[in-house]
Amino acid sequence: MKARILNRTDALKIVDLLRQQGYEVIAPFRGRGRDTFFETVTDQNRDQVQLHLPNPYYPPKRYVFPHIERLLTVKRDNGDIRIQPSYEEPKRAIFGIRSCDVAGIYHLDRFYLGRDFKDIYYENHRKNLFLVNFVCSDPANDIGDECFCVCADTGPAAREHFDLQLMDLGDEFMAVAGTPAGEALFADPIFKKATDAHVARRHAILDQVRKAFKTTTSWFSATVRYVSQGDILDKTWEEIGNRCLECGGCTYVCPACTCFTVSDRQVGPNEIERVRMWDSCGLGGFTRMAGGFNPRRAVHDRRNRRFFRKLAHYFIQRELSMACVGCGRCAAVCHGDIGMPSVVEMIRRATAEVEKRESVSH
Amino acid sequence: MNPSATENVRPTVTARREQAENIYLPRIAVLDRVVQEIQDVKTFYWHFEDPVDQRAFRCFRPGQFAEVSLFGVGEFPTSLPPSPTEAETFFTVRHVGSCTSALHQLRPGDKFAVRGPYGNGFPMEDYYGKNLVFVAGGIGLIPLRSAIVYALQNRKQYQRIQIFHGAKTPKELMYVPNLGEWEHTPGVECHLTVDRSAEGWSGNVGVVGSLFKKPGVQVPVENTVAFVCGPPIMFRFVIKDLLGMGFQERNIVSTLERYMKCGVGKCGHCCIGVAYVCVDGPVFTYEQIKKLGEDI
Repeated sequence: MKARILNRTDALKIVDLLRQQGYEVIAPFRGRGRDTFFETVTDQNRDQVQLHLPNPYYPPKRYVFPHIERLLTVKRDNGDIRIQPSYEEPKRAIFGIRSCDVAGIYHLDRFYLGRDFKDIYYENHRKNLFLVNFVCSDPANDIGDECFCVCADTGPAAREHFDLQLMDLGDEFMAVAGTPAGEALFADPIFKKATDAHVARRHAILDQVRKAFKTTTSWFSATVRYVSQGDILDKTWEEIGNRCLECGGCTYVCPACTCFTVSDRQVGPNEIERVRMWDSCGLGGFTRMAGGFNPRRAVHDRRNRRFFRKLAHYFIQRELSMACVGCGRCAAVCHGDIGMPSVVEMIRRATAEVEKRESVSH
Repeated sequence: MNPSATENVRPTVTARREQAENIYLPRIAVLDRVVQEIQDVKTFYWHFEDPVDQRAFRCFRPGQFAEVSLFGVGEFPTSLPPSPTEAETFFTVRHVGSCTSALHQLRPGDKFAVRGPYGNGFPMEDYYGKNLVFVAGGIGLIPLRSAIVYALQNRKQYQRIQIFHGAKTPKELMYVPNLGEWEHTPGVECHLTVDRSAEGWSGNVGVVGSLFKKPGVQVPVENTVAFVCGPPIMFRFVIKDLLGMGFQERNIVSTLERYMKCGVGKCGHCCIGVAYVCVDGPVFTYEQIKKLGEDI
């Protein structure tokens, strides 16, 4: 992939370039406290855009899969029904999306656009989306205690699925084009040729950054194998379930969770709209059927479900992408400390105690 | 082609393309008539407003399902009890939640909307040359009706056909006119039972599994597919009986029921074990169901 070099001070000019091309540019900002968030760039807030900051909890997923989205409007008129689907096709760019979230969007692509049925609402949000990936290179600001992209193999520098990638090399930024659309930006004079020294600098920084992660779920792949083989004891799932407060937070902050529910709401005397909104497999009503029967009554059945869906080999193969990208948000928001890294840890500990894995006898 | 004819055709063509592109877009249906089956259960005969939709929909397979929209209330999945060999399209639905309740309130001529057909359905062609044993408890006969009628329409393709249907009381037997017809169809063994007898009932009393041991009944085990549908408790006992008779787990099929919103493998509600019930099911063999690891 082609790399170019630009001055630190020119990084925000990429935002300007994209805005000139008609993109609504989304970028990360710092709130008044420790919070950070993605927001649309305007002439007023353009100078407040920051790249080195903790990755926002609320993932950029909502720009392709909105929290609440209208699917149809239905009008009734004298017994007649008219169904009008509503489509939004924004032209958006996300500037400063982290590598884990790039992998998250790729997972959503695989899920919503793959297999027999294609989700047109997702496609409409996705088709004009331009991703400017920012490599986490500053351990103090960019990498949270819970980040584990090094284990999920999605970061700190994404290898694909972005249009343009930016990396802080100290005095300068490196830009890497991932698509022809990204490469087209290199026509602007802010981009200069990169040298071997720049590439060597990139590698040296990444080597250092990889060592800066506090969370290393070193049993991630073993956990995938055990979950896929059904080797996790009920006791372990129960232990995990007992810690779940059923708030649904993990699914809401997850960049790779896809579930939604659909609801009709009255918007006028003879008009309703059908909307879909994020749903969570952690919530009690997720599988409850009309009449009250709930095949997943116990909390641990529901927790089990979330981790099974993310870790089972079958689903990884089905989407050719894993529904956990190592962003660490679930670990950061969970009050019961059963984010993905903790669950992997609990499975590791439980497995260490299991005699069935120990075949030695006398 | 004259201009008016073009005008008539165009909306349909556009609409079809739109539906193919938008998996969540239902098409308008009109209710023709309603038949009360048993208490709380009615059969709704309907057709699509657009004949093109009707023709496209009628290519469904036994065991598939559809999503029914009652605008302002919601959408729900329901079995397709008709066989694709029959002329009419209909649903048989128990009044149990808000959507089904809204459907029960509709009058002939009222409009609602339907998407589908969805799901895998029974692989009826794979069963050519085999014996078919249908075991239905209560409204479990709804999803099996399609396969039964299909098998009878293609009678030569199958060996023996047995139907076992049980209900709580004689008043709760499903599709009574069909049962009467099947009981008198040559080459079909139709056995009925009720848990509690009532006046005028001269048939068997007992759970549906008790029919297997009745004198004169011989359930073929070799080269046989058993279709089992019914409430969870009935399902567990019938499975036990069938396995006891020597049935292989892979020769027992059923359809699973789950809460689902989309019907096309996206919303995630019906995902159990390694399967999305809506796209990988709803028809599964007992061998598969066991591996899915959830209550029926």
